[in-house]
Amino acid sequence: MRNLYGKEWVMKKKVFGVCVLLLTAVFGLSGFGLAEEGVTDTEIHIAQWGPQTGPAAAWGSIPRATGHYFQMLNDEGGIHGRKIVYHMFDDAYNPAKTKAGVKQLQEDVGIFAWVGGVGTACGLAVKNYLMAKKVPWVTPATGSRHWIDPPQKYLFSTFALYSTGAKVHCKYAYEQQGLKRFALAYQNDDYGKAYLQGAKEQLAKYGLKLVEAIPVEFRDTDLKPHVRKLKKAKAQATLICLTPMHAARIVMTGRQMRFNTQWMASSPCSDFPLMYKITKGAWEGVIAATFAELPDSDLPLMKKYRAAYKKYATKEERWGIFYYAGFGFAEPLVEGLKRAGRDLTREKLVSAMEGIRDFKGITGHINFAPFDPKDPWCRQGQDEVFLVQCQKGGKYKVITDWIEIR
Amino acid sequence: MDMKRNYYEDVQLFRSGVVVFWFVLFMAALAVFPLVAKNYYVYVVNYICINIIVVLGLNILVGYTGQISLGHAGFFAIGAYGTIILMTKAHLPFIIALPLGGLVAAVFGFLVGIPALRLEGPYLAIATLGFGLTVTQVIGRTDFFGGRQGLHAPPLTIGPWHLNTDKEFYYLLITLTVLLTLAARNLIKTKVGRAFIAIRDADIAAETMGVNLVFYKTLAFAVSAFYAGVGGGLYAFVLRFIEPEVFNLFMSVMFLAMVVVGGLGSIMGSIAGATLLAWLDLQLRNIVAIPYLGEWLETFSKTYMTLTGMSNIQFIVFGLIMVLIMVFEPLGIFGMWIRTKIYWKTWPF
Repeated sequence: MRNLYGKEWVMKKKVFGVCVLLLTAVFGLSGFGLAEEGVTDTEIHIAQWGPQTGPAAAWGSIPRATGHYFQMLNDEGGIHGRKIVYHMFDDAYNPAKTKAGVKQLQEDVGIFAWVGGVGTACGLAVKNYLMAKKVPWVTPATGSRHWIDPPQKYLFSTFALYSTGAKVHCKYAYEQQGLKRFALAYQNDDYGKAYLQGAKEQLAKYGLKLVEAIPVEFRDTDLKPHVRKLKKAKAQATLICLTPMHAARIVMTGRQMRFNTQWMASSPCSDFPLMYKITKGAWEGVIAATFAELPDSDLPLMKKYRAAYKKYATKEERWGIFYYAGFGFAEPLVEGLKRAGRDLTREKLVSAMEGIRDFKGITGHINFAPFDPKDPWCRQGQDEVFLVQCQKGGKYKVITDWIEIR
Repeated sequence: MDMKRNYYEDVQLFRSGVVVFWFVLFMAALAVFPLVAKNYYVYVVNYICINIIVVLGLNILVGYTGQISLGHAGFFAIGAYGTIILMTKAHLPFIIALPLGGLVAAVFGFLVGIPALRLEGPYLAIATLGFGLTVTQVIGRTDFFGGRQGLHAPPLTIGPWHLNTDKEFYYLLITLTVLLTLAARNLIKTKVGRAFIAIRDADIAAETMGVNLVFYKTLAFAVSAFYAGVGGGLYAFVLRFIEPEVFNLFMSVMFLAMVVVGGLGSIMGSIAGATLLAWLDLQLRNIVAIPYLGEWLETFSKTYMTLTGMSNIQFIVFGLIMVLIMVFEPLGIFGMWIRTKIYWKTWPF
């Protein structure tokens, strides 16, 4: 009996020894193998959040598309011999969950850089955290001024500001169409207010003022009073900066009430096939600003992305602007990673990003500049959009080239 | 088993030396926790603490007084906005702004409590639901509250301490959670608490016995709203940014679910319910990472469900856990605790 106990004891000791060795190996390797957090000899860890459930689940295609883009790049051999390991999580558009997910990935996995990220509130909940940790974040997927004002060294925004869209609309309607009476229906939030500001600034240049500016609430369902006011103001051009649902409703109500105006919609309403379908054709003639190439574009890059979409996306995924925007939002980061070279660190990525001039992917031209705390534009990459008009059947007609405006 | 022989046995904080021992050990573990745990888990505990505070308050209203509220996200929002605005616009220090924010919420709680004198059950639920939705609408339409753009929380300092990391904030939160838990426990043991329970059991009988219904019903709402307000004020500093859409109906429903799952009319239950559901809420998104089960779920969702089926599985699991707890233990987690306790106390019989 005593002998037996002794044997067991020796066994236990051996097992213990092996465990200690294994643990040391695991922790040792993970501790010393990294030159920079999130980068190994063969991998770069990039992450993004996006709602797959909840009220904004429709935007969830953006982070999924980014995943397909990285898959495509990895199959081509990766960046400087490193594959991108992509971490995506669902935050259900709830900032508390965004913050939890970001912290967990950042601290457990160690993310090298963040890309995209749907939702202004979700992004704002983690902005200070990422900036304090000096983790680069490229292209938050909303056009808010919060990202660049004040500018942050590690935060690069490329989503065209909503105010840029408003300015281009006013410029086109005034200079090309000769319209003088402008009205605006805007969503009463960050997105709408930015648009309102842009429209006011541009019209002031022509000595004009908005004849009517109507806030629309998220929960408003009957838009007849809004249209009545617009009609009374005799607006020749009516800018709309709303969710696709409200935009569809206001245009349909306008048509029913025989309100003749040139509707001009912000970029979130630029998915014409969809808008045409949900408005039962009333969307025809609407002009919209768009920040990326059109779905049927013949650009070689767009053809390549379409091929990637066919190869990697599941059957139910729809090829539309809010799908391939996920490719477009990640392009500047990939360009930065390529420029930063094989010896990758966060600081090198930031200086490589700052060196990007006139980069053209599937969105507008992108320019960054060395960090200047007084100049928000050093961190706003894209400042151009182009205008398209909706034709019968939801087809696109390009009516301007890229227009740059600040 | 739990026979009480005199009044002081009923009101004493700890029933025996063993309970004191475990309490001290638990407090020590909480104190050491941020030193050994990763920052992410500290954030999770912070999030749980805030839910505990709100659920303690809601349980006083629902579990002890027998009223209902589907508008607690409204009080939560008032506390959050109140605290930030008192700090940024009135330049009050945090330690004054936080209780004041809670008091503002309590005033609204008192006001909502007035219709509660005439409304019961589903009617009261609808009235409070309306209140919760109105609050976010009013905040969203008022520029003073930052409108739909939301507000940023100012840097947090208490005297010489700067509480800007999760770990620093953790100690403040734990202290407040323990204090508020003790306060709730003591409140229930006083005349006020007994009046609440009497109202819950039979309000007409209670009134006949001399319990002032007007006073105690509105007081229950005010106390409950105060807890929610304080929770909201702290939540603003966990997120560091608030906007009206954060305080939606789903949040109110979650608070209520925590009360019911934890156990109606129980302090322990409030803590357990808030801990379990808040933890699941944050953690279920990692369901795919569970070995075997995660892979199986993923294949299942890709084969039989839509593109985002996988993400929705977390809600199904979430719902399932709640339903199962209710089916097998109508008294909630607290009921399970009681049964386990009885089992061990009477073991082996």
